Amino acid sequence: MRVNALKLHNFRNYVNLKLVFTQNINIFLGCNAQGKTNILEAIYFSAMGRSHRTSIDNELVSWQQASCLINIGFSRIGVENELSLQLKPLNTRCIKEIVYNGHPIKPRDLMGSLNVVLFSPEDLMLIKGMPAARRHFLDLEISQASPAYYQQLLKYNRVLAQRNNLLKKIRERRENSSLLEAWDEQLAQLAAVIIIKRLAAVKKLTMLANLMHRKITDSKENLVVQYAVHNLDDAEILKDCGELQQAILHKLLSSRDNDILRGSTGFGPHRDDLVFTVNGINLRNFGSQGQQRTGVLALKLAELEFIKSETGDYPVLLLDDVMSELDEQRRTQLLYFIKDRIQTFITATDEKYFPEIKQGKYYYVNNGHVAE
Amino acid sequence: MQYIAPLAKLIEQFRALPGIGPKSAARLAYHILEMDKARAEALAAAIVEAKNKIGYCQVCFNLTDSNPCKICCADERDSTTVCVVEEPRDVAAMERMREYRGLYHVLHGSLSPLEGIGPQDLRIKELLSRIQAGQIQEVIMATNPNVEGEATAMYLARLLKPIGIKVTRIAHGLPIGGDLEYADEVTLSKALENRREI
Repeated sequence: MRVNALKLHNFRNYVNLKLVFTQNINIFLGCNAQGKTNILEAIYFSAMGRSHRTSIDNELVSWQQASCLINIGFSRIGVENELSLQLKPLNTRCIKEIVYNGHPIKPRDLMGSLNVVLFSPEDLMLIKGMPAARRHFLDLEISQASPAYYQQLLKYNRVLAQRNNLLKKIRERRENSSLLEAWDEQLAQLAAVIIIKRLAAVKKLTMLANLMHRKITDSKENLVVQYAVHNLDDAEILKDCGELQQAILHKLLSSRDNDILRGSTGFGPHRDDLVFTVNGINLRNFGSQGQQRTGVLALKLAELEFIKSETGDYPVLLLDDVMSELDEQRRTQLLYFIKDRIQTFITATDEKYFPEIKQGKYYYVNNGHVAE
Repeated sequence: MQYIAPLAKLIEQFRALPGIGPKSAARLAYHILEMDKARAEALAAAIVEAKNKIGYCQVCFNLTDSNPCKICCADERDSTTVCVVEEPRDVAAMERMREYRGLYHVLHGSLSPLEGIGPQDLRIKELLSRIQAGQIQEVIMATNPNVEGEATAMYLARLLKPIGIKVTRIAHGLPIGGDLEYADEVTLSKALENRREI
C-alpha cells in the first residue's frame, strides 16, 4: 500500500497543501508546532475516518473556515485509488462526506480501504495504560483486516448501551427484569463472535510479536501476548462459538443481580484485556521503561505483518515523533525493517536520527508550509 | 429576507415535516401559492379528510378508515397466522408482495430502553388478548433486523412460546436478484449462518 499524493484544504494550519510522494521513506522535519503531525493526522484520518489526537472532528477544520477537505491518492496492490473527505462543522456536530473513487460512501464503510499503522509516543500507554487502550488497539487492527468485525463491534456496543440503560431502569424499579432476556441473547451471540475473532487475532499477533521481539533483543527476551477474558475460565473459551455463547449467557444470568445493582454489564468483551509478559514477567507491572518500549515496538512491527497477512499488502506506517524515544539500536532495527518494503511517513525535529537513509526524502515544515 | 406572515406560517408548517428542510419548505409553500384556489382547497380538504377518517384498527392497529380494517375482516385471509411488524408502512410493504394471506399486528415501535420505549409503550397487551381469543396458531416476527427489532422479536417469542404458540422469525440474508459479490460482509455471514439443505 502506498500513498502517492495528498491534498489538504483548510485542514488544521494548512490552507492549501499539495504533496506528491515518490519515495518509500518520507521524513517531515521542523521545529515544534509547525504542522508536522497534522500531515500524519490527515493520512490517518483518511484511513480511519477519525483522528488519533481528538474525538472532535470540528477541531480539524481551520479556525473560522466553513469546511475542510482531504484528498488522498493511494495505490493498493498496484491499483490507483482516490479518497476525498470533506468535513463541515454544523453547530457542535460535524458532517462527513466521503467519496471513494468517485462514489459517495458512508463513514462506516471507509474502514479497510486504506490501511495504516500509527506509532506515536502515546502508544507506550498500550502497555502501561488502562485495558481500554489495549482493546482499542486490538479492535482497530482486526477491523482493518475484517470490516465485518467492525460492524459487529458497533452492534455489540449498541446492545450493551441498551442493556445498561435497562439495568438502571430495573434498579429504579421502572422496568421488569424479565425484559433483560431479550437483550442477553443478542449480547451473548455478538460477544461470542467478538471474543473468538479476538482470540484468533491475538494468536497470530503473539507469534509475530514474539518473532519481532527476538530480533530486537537478539533472542534474549521472549515476549508473549495473551487475551484475558474477564471473569471466564480458559477452559470455557476453548469451545466453539455456540458453546461459548451458552457459557456467556449463563454468566450473564448468574451475575444479573450484580449487574442490576451496578447498573452496568460486568462481563463481556468490553471488559477483556491483553496481557504482555516477557520471560514470564508481566510487562505492565514489572517491566522497565526500556522493556516496555521494546515491547511496543515489537507489537507495532507485528501489526504491520498481521495486516499484510490478512490483506496481502503492507499498510502505510506513520511514525509520529518516535525516533527521539528510541535508542540507536532500536532505531536501526526499525529502519532496517521498513526499508524497501513499507512506505513510511516520519515526523522528527532533527536529521541526526536518520544517518544512513539514502532513498528517503526530506520535507521541511515551517508554519503551515512544506518545502522539499 | 422576512416572509409575509401567512407565508411564513405555511413554511414553518412544512418545515416541521420529516425530510423537509428550510429550502424545500419554501419551495412547497410558493408552489401552493401558485396553485388554483380549487386545487389548494382540495389539498387542504384531503389532509383534513385523511386525518378525520383514518384511525387505527382496533384489532391489528394498522391504519384504516373502517373498523376493524379490511384485512382483519377479509374472510379469505388465514386467521390462524399473524405477522408482527413495527410500523403501518411495514404492512404496506408486506401487502405489496401479495403472497402473504394471514393477518397482521402493528406494534408501533420496537423495544429501546435508550429512547425510553418499554413493552407497555407497544401494542403487546393487545396482541396477547388477540392470542387468548384462541384462533391464532402461528406468529411471524417481521420486526426490523436491527438490534432493537431483534430484541423485540426475542421478547415476544419468550412471551408467546409458553402459551404453546408457534413463533417464527423472517429469514435474513441475500436479496433475491442481488449478486453475491456485492453483498456486504455482515449480510453474507448472516446468510451463511442461516443456510439450508437442498
